[in-house]
Amino acid sequence: MRKVWLLVAFLTACGGLEPEPICAPSLVGLCGTVRFRGTVPANTENVFIAAYLTFPQTCTDLIANRQPLIPGSVPYTDSLALYSVPLSPGTYQWVLAVWKKPGTLTLTPADTQYLRVGGYYRNPADSTQPGSVTVPNGASAGDVNFVVDFDRLRPATDFVTCTGP
Amino acid sequence: MHRAIAALLVVLALCPAPGDAMAQGVLRGWVHDPQGAPIRGAAVAVRGTTLATETDLEGRYRIPVVPAGTVRVHAAAIGYGFVDTTVALTGGDSTTVDFILSLAPLALPPVDVISDKVSHFGDRPATSVAQLTERDLDRRAVNTVDEAIDHAPGVQFVNGQINLRGSTGYVQGLNSRVLMTVDGVPMNQGDRGGISWDLLPVDDIEGVQILKGAGSSLYGSAAFGGVVNVTTRDIPNGLHTRARFTGGVYGDPPHAVWRFRDSPGLLGSGDVAASYGNDEWGGRFSVGDRHSDGYRQQDQDDHLHFAGKARWQSSVKTRIDVSGAWAVDRYDVPLSWCSRGKCDDLGQVFQPFKVDTTERGARTDSRKGYLAAQVRTTVSPTLAWVARGSWLRTHFTDLRHSTSEFGVGNRFGTEGRLEAHPDSTRTAIVGAEATFSDVTSDIFGTHSQSEFAAYGQSDQRIGVARVSGGARLDFLAVDGGSLTAVVSPRIGISVPTDRRGPNGGTLRASIGRGFRSPTMAERFVHTTALGFDVVPNPTLQPETSWSFEIGHTSAPLLRFMRLDAAVFWTEARDLIEPRLLQLPPDTVEIRLQNVVHARLAGLDASVIAAPIPDRLIATLGYTYLSTRRRLEGDSTSGPLAFRPRHLVTLGADYALGPIGVGADFRFASRPERIELEGFVDPRRVPVKVLDLRAGWKRGPIEWRLLATNVLNYIHNLVPETLAPVRTITLTAVWSH
Repeated sequence: MRKVWLLVAFLTACGGLEPEPICAPSLVGLCGTVRFRGTVPANTENVFIAAYLTFPQTCTDLIANRQPLIPGSVPYTDSLALYSVPLSPGTYQWVLAVWKKPGTLTLTPADTQYLRVGGYYRNPADSTQPGSVTVPNGASAGDVNFVVDFDRLRPATDFVTCTGP
Repeated sequence: MHRAIAALLVVLALCPAPGDAMAQGVLRGWVHDPQGAPIRGAAVAVRGTTLATETDLEGRYRIPVVPAGTVRVHAAAIGYGFVDTTVALTGGDSTTVDFILSLAPLALPPVDVISDKVSHFGDRPATSVAQLTERDLDRRAVNTVDEAIDHAPGVQFVNGQINLRGSTGYVQGLNSRVLMTVDGVPMNQGDRGGISWDLLPVDDIEGVQILKGAGSSLYGSAAFGGVVNVTTRDIPNGLHTRARFTGGVYGDPPHAVWRFRDSPGLLGSGDVAASYGNDEWGGRFSVGDRHSDGYRQQDQDDHLHFAGKARWQSSVKTRIDVSGAWAVDRYDVPLSWCSRGKCDDLGQVFQPFKVDTTERGARTDSRKGYLAAQVRTTVSPTLAWVARGSWLRTHFTDLRHSTSEFGVGNRFGTEGRLEAHPDSTRTAIVGAEATFSDVTSDIFGTHSQSEFAAYGQSDQRIGVARVSGGARLDFLAVDGGSLTAVVSPRIGISVPTDRRGPNGGTLRASIGRGFRSPTMAERFVHTTALGFDVVPNPTLQPETSWSFEIGHTSAPLLRFMRLDAAVFWTEARDLIEPRLLQLPPDTVEIRLQNVVHARLAGLDASVIAAPIPDRLIATLGYTYLSTRRRLEGDSTSGPLAFRPRHLVTLGADYALGPIGVGADFRFASRPERIELEGFVDPRRVPVKVLDLRAGWKRGPIEWRLLATNVLNYIHNLVPETLAPVRTITLTAVWSH
């Protein structure tokens, strides 16, 4: 019987709902939510958030100017995920979610063959355009929320010019 | 309609029954334990006949019209061993037989034959049945019956909706795939088909039987996933009074950032009941009031109820019962918890104890009640008939910031049934039932639905096995339109696996068809939800299913424990679900459709152990549920929403003289899928709730201390709705 109640104590010890700060107090960067739609492709490896100080013009810009350069991943199995991305202070013109299929990244334009644009933060005044976000000094920008549609993943060439592999 | 039913009941009751001239006697007596304490609710039955009754508060029983000569009498009670004895009765005389039942926690409980349709020979039925006694209700010190049956193996409540082996899931209160009956009278609402668990005062309830698996072969629509039958207390002879007062406090949120008020929330209730009866007639009346501040913002609840019951033994063979209840509620509606930016969120993604400011002031006013009458005549020891009529009324008004909605629903029912024991190895039940429901509402419109049914079931002992088979034919008509017919057959077998009589092991198996007629709310709802129009679908068809189970109840193992396990399998078709439809050019609407085919399969197991006889009883229940949902015209499949794969209940009670302590633990795994994913907050966690209780009885007063969710585990069962937090209550019950 004692073992049973020890088991009860163990099971009850964790797992309930906990407070979730919108942005961790120590974060300098961006945070918000990503809402997922559509069917997750079977070859999905991960989804990550990236940001650009200026809108990239070429595939080279796309890879070289990405912040953070080595991104973390966002859980995509639920319909909603929280994310936070440490970034340097500044105004970012494009914040997006990038979908990746299996393949080794080389930090060259060739990486674009493994990557698709899943969705991006939109201008609240004109939702057809990307929105810009300012990360203040020593603080974070919250509520940078956007949608990823797995049924409408778009190649990099829809946004930038890629001249080589 | 009401007059016709009442007239029929009176005429039937006053008709002289054939067979009066047969030599018959009255059997009466007392059932008590070895210390002389009365055992209430014990079943006493004359074997091989339809004659059966239960003991009253003082352990007394009385069975009229017992055939003169030698008869076998069986007495049993939950938690006690059974006694079979042979009695010689003299015609025209009264014979007293007292029974002493010894405590035997592992004894199999008797299955009630009085208020439900599970015919039997004093042994186990072919289907799985879980039972809760008055003692279970008492020691849990609960306020509504759902709080008590939530701990039965294989049962889970999801925001007030009952799931037997995963049948219902969570359907926003628009239907129930489980039928509730009170003393055999169907009590699902006429408009929405849901169950009002707080319609009956808990002190008026004597016990609850939970029949698992499809029960439509006898009970018709809504018994798709099972039946919960509530038995109310009989009226004992003499004058009795009972008062019950409860006070309590809700726990504070465990994190300061979730605090929403400066002082703790309180709750309290008071109930008073009085009854008087003699051998010929009796009556009881009870009244109660309850207030709760709620455990979250905008969660106040006020409840007032009245209930009454009367019995009249109009002749030696005929008994008439009339019962009714009326409840008035006004409760705040915390529609959904506050998400980021929709209240003073204090920098949190969500605030589970707060509501959106746009939903402030939402509340519901509800009035509901029922009236039921039943006549039972024992024509002869081998033949009895029952006739009943009932009326259930619900009236709600939802008051919202933006709009208000109302609905008035009625459900009128009448039923006639013959019960026969042609010989000692056979029973047969045949009956007919008619139900008329109507609704007047600004979201459901004005509509009516009629249901007509005929059913029959026979039980036959073949060697050591008992075989039962039956079927029910239902005809449904909406707004006086054409009839839809549904046939629900069922067959079952139970076989003893050792020679220890009713307390030995038993193997059981059954297969049956279930169905559920769409409720008028499902057919005709016209409202808005999640920003979309919800449009009616009058062409909805009944949901149907085939359910199979095979189970075994073991004989006592190692002298202190008993196991019960069943494997179940249900194939369901045409389940009704909300669908988001995109219509050209750019219209999106929600419509309920028969689109889902589903499989629900799993294992339902329980263990009861009494390692220290008379003192310590421990129980363990486990349900494994695997579901598969497939949309019509779609080859992909996934799990059904709101069905946890694992459900575990643990319980223990220790008694030492007048003092008792106990604990319950409940675990449910995180549901793999929820409805409307993508439109609601998908946050969900496993359920891990520990309850503790203690009781002390001295003279006519009993004190009960109950702490539910004692670890203040913060969780939700449906999206954006916080489940109850730690609640501590102290209850005093005075009985005389």
